[in-house]
Amino acid sequence: MSRLLDIDGLTLELHDGTRLLEGISLSVAPGETVGLVGESGSGKSLTARTVLGLVPERSRLGGRVRLDGREVIGAPARDILDLRRHAAAMIFQDPRAGINPMRTIGDHLTETLRRCEGKSAAEARARAIELLADVQLPRPEEHFGQYPHEFSGGMLQRVMIAGALTSSPKLLICDEPTTALDVTTQAEIVRVLVELRERRGMGMLFITHDLNLAASLCDRVVVMSRGRVEESGDARRVFTAPEADYTRRLIEATPSIAVRSLDGEAEADASAPAGPMLEVRGLDKQYQLRGRPPVHAVVEAELEIPRGGSLGVVGESGSGKSTLARMIVGLEQPDRGEVRIAGRERSTAPRSRAERIAHAKSVQMVFQDPYLSLDPRIPAGRAIQDVLRLHGGLDRVAAEARALELLEAVGLGERHLAARPKTLSGGQRQRVAIARALAIEPELLVMDEATSALDVSVQAQVLDLVAQLRAQRGLTVLFISHDLGVVRRVCERAVVMRRGEIVEQGPSERLLREPEHPYTRLLVDSVPRPSWEAAA
Amino acid sequence: MTTPTPTLAVKVLRAPRAHRTSLVFAIACGVVAVMTLAAVFAPFVAPYPPDAVDFTAVNAGPSAAHWLGTDGLGRDLLSRLVFGARTALLGPLLVVIGSTIIGMLLGLLAGWRGGWIDAVLGRVFDVLFAFPSLLLAIMAVALFGKGLVAPVIAMSIAYAPFVARLTRALVKAERTRPYVAAYRVQGFGGAWIAFRRVLPNVTPIVGAQSTLNFGYVLAELAGLSFLGLGVQPPTPDWGAMINEAQSGVAGGYFLPAIVPAVAVVLVVVAVNIIGEELSDRIGGGVPA
Repeated sequence: MSRLLDIDGLTLELHDGTRLLEGISLSVAPGETVGLVGESGSGKSLTARTVLGLVPERSRLGGRVRLDGREVIGAPARDILDLRRHAAAMIFQDPRAGINPMRTIGDHLTETLRRCEGKSAAEARARAIELLADVQLPRPEEHFGQYPHEFSGGMLQRVMIAGALTSSPKLLICDEPTTALDVTTQAEIVRVLVELRERRGMGMLFITHDLNLAASLCDRVVVMSRGRVEESGDARRVFTAPEADYTRRLIEATPSIAVRSLDGEAEADASAPAGPMLEVRGLDKQYQLRGRPPVHAVVEAELEIPRGGSLGVVGESGSGKSTLARMIVGLEQPDRGEVRIAGRERSTAPRSRAERIAHAKSVQMVFQDPYLSLDPRIPAGRAIQDVLRLHGGLDRVAAEARALELLEAVGLGERHLAARPKTLSGGQRQRVAIARALAIEPELLVMDEATSALDVSVQAQVLDLVAQLRAQRGLTVLFISHDLGVVRRVCERAVVMRRGEIVEQGPSERLLREPEHPYTRLLVDSVPRPSWEAAA
Repeated sequence: MTTPTPTLAVKVLRAPRAHRTSLVFAIACGVVAVMTLAAVFAPFVAPYPPDAVDFTAVNAGPSAAHWLGTDGLGRDLLSRLVFGARTALLGPLLVVIGSTIIGMLLGLLAGWRGGWIDAVLGRVFDVLFAFPSLLLAIMAVALFGKGLVAPVIAMSIAYAPFVARLTRALVKAERTRPYVAAYRVQGFGGAWIAFRRVLPNVTPIVGAQSTLNFGYVLAELAGLSFLGLGVQPPTPDWGAMINEAQSGVAGGYFLPAIVPAVAVVLVVVAVNIIGEELSDRIGGGVPA
């Protein structure tokens, strides 16, 4: 029996009878990477956690889970502890949530070595430093005494990987280890993981929602949906010739940056020649922080969007793209420079009610997280009616009718009028947010990472909706995203931001195909590509 | 960068344990409900008028005629307890309502506006915290005379900082939420957002915490009338009943003192159980 992990017909039922996993079967051989892909709620994390005996309270398990030849299900706590210590380790999505902020990186690593492996302090220290070097942290000796807050997310995730390796596990379970990280950082982490896998011959179970990432990293993939395995097999086969309908839909919904044919160019020229809808000139913003040097969030930003056009702003976290958006919609005031929307100056704070309303009419925004940007207490219909009554002076009946029209325009219906945000799914919430923004009939719509909290299939629906609204209403869109594929899908033109500066701008197709600035090139190169294409 | 959203696995693993407190909670609700109903319908519930004197039974033990016995003047303890519940419950209720209104308005002002208003209000709260509420109430009695009104107003003010501090913290957190930014972008004014949207959103948590104050206030008001500074005779009141029973205790008649004391403890404990359960359910255990 050469297989490291063998899951056969795994089922999981909560104490109230809800079945969360249904007949899951998969296996991992030593040195092999198996991807577990699917959208949120598909049960992929739950499956992986079962391997380490991390199951919900009072749940019932069925089937077999064999790790390194030993049965996990029903095993006594002592055996599971031993498996966790020696056979398998796990790294999680958010490294900052998984580390004690009060203790040093060294403490974090040596604790396991000393308590589980019984090493002396000096041995543990030497081993920990060796591990920190293994995950390619630049100054292991120095890092040993540092605290987590001194580390960036990417560095911390490497510490977590080093921590997982202290026990020299045969199987490493990675649960969305790069989802909270920037794309360039993701590329570094993935490189570290691949290198470690090769050197140690570890098996890896890699959980991700990102199909491109799975394709770049995994030998085989298992596609899950609603607690079932939809399809599994060789990664290349699954992604190039999917058998299950679900897999096919998932692949279609995933935006890619692969170079397309030239039909994108035609769209780029279709923009109307009228005067610019948005003009940003020399926009500058600094944040003064107490006791620290000021942060220059946006440096002399210049951009322009023609009427009915769309512009993407791409950048990693901290690049200033959100600050730029907040200044354009008036949530923050710039230090210098001006914002003109449809020819009117909009960068000063509105002083009167009339100014405030005029400002709102010129620009609206859809926020990143629809779970936070809708008032939890206010039903969808009411949220839209409030806006209509503020701006249009409509009476109750007219506002209700118009709210329904708007909900229908974004693909929702009458039964969503009275629905509170809690009862709506992420995609439905974002549709409500879009309908609410459209209710004002703004001249410019700013979307700040409006789809990054959504599953790919839902993201595809929202992007289609935006495309449709643009075609129907001639809406001008400023689309902010960290995802090059998404920006390409929505925008004719794009700008790339880094540390507050716009480093490059041009048609999005060109940026992807022939990036000029080295940073743009780095961004494009960091996006995961299927391993078979990279090799070719 | 994508915000990490809790996956299904995390949600399932973090699911709250089944409520084992529900029976205790139900009993506490029952106690408060019975007391409230008794207070409201006192004339129909009580077997005798509260000041009816029965000279044949002075300091009598429980009997068919007097279920809980009588006090030193031969008044029926059960009837006095029932009528006494009116002032015992009304006082704290008014204080809770008063302190919640004052506290929420000040807390909203401090949390929403921030800056110097926040700083000034914060110091004012600090000063008020330094005053024992009972002392403030006694001062109010000294200035405005005995009775229920002066202590209720004084304690409403004394308890307002507790509410204000919580409201301020919640409003400050709420202010940075994207939904508030969304309202701003839509063109709504600051006052509208604060009063019509943010305030209602923090009310359940603040309300649940305020419920907890009810018990403390009840105990303190009972203490005040025990000292003879609160509700004045002939109006029956639990604190005053304990005071009147003092001489009886020396003579070996414990019941007239124990009955109202037990009532006070029972209500305070019941209200605290309800308040804590409510805070847990609504606020997810927000510390006061």
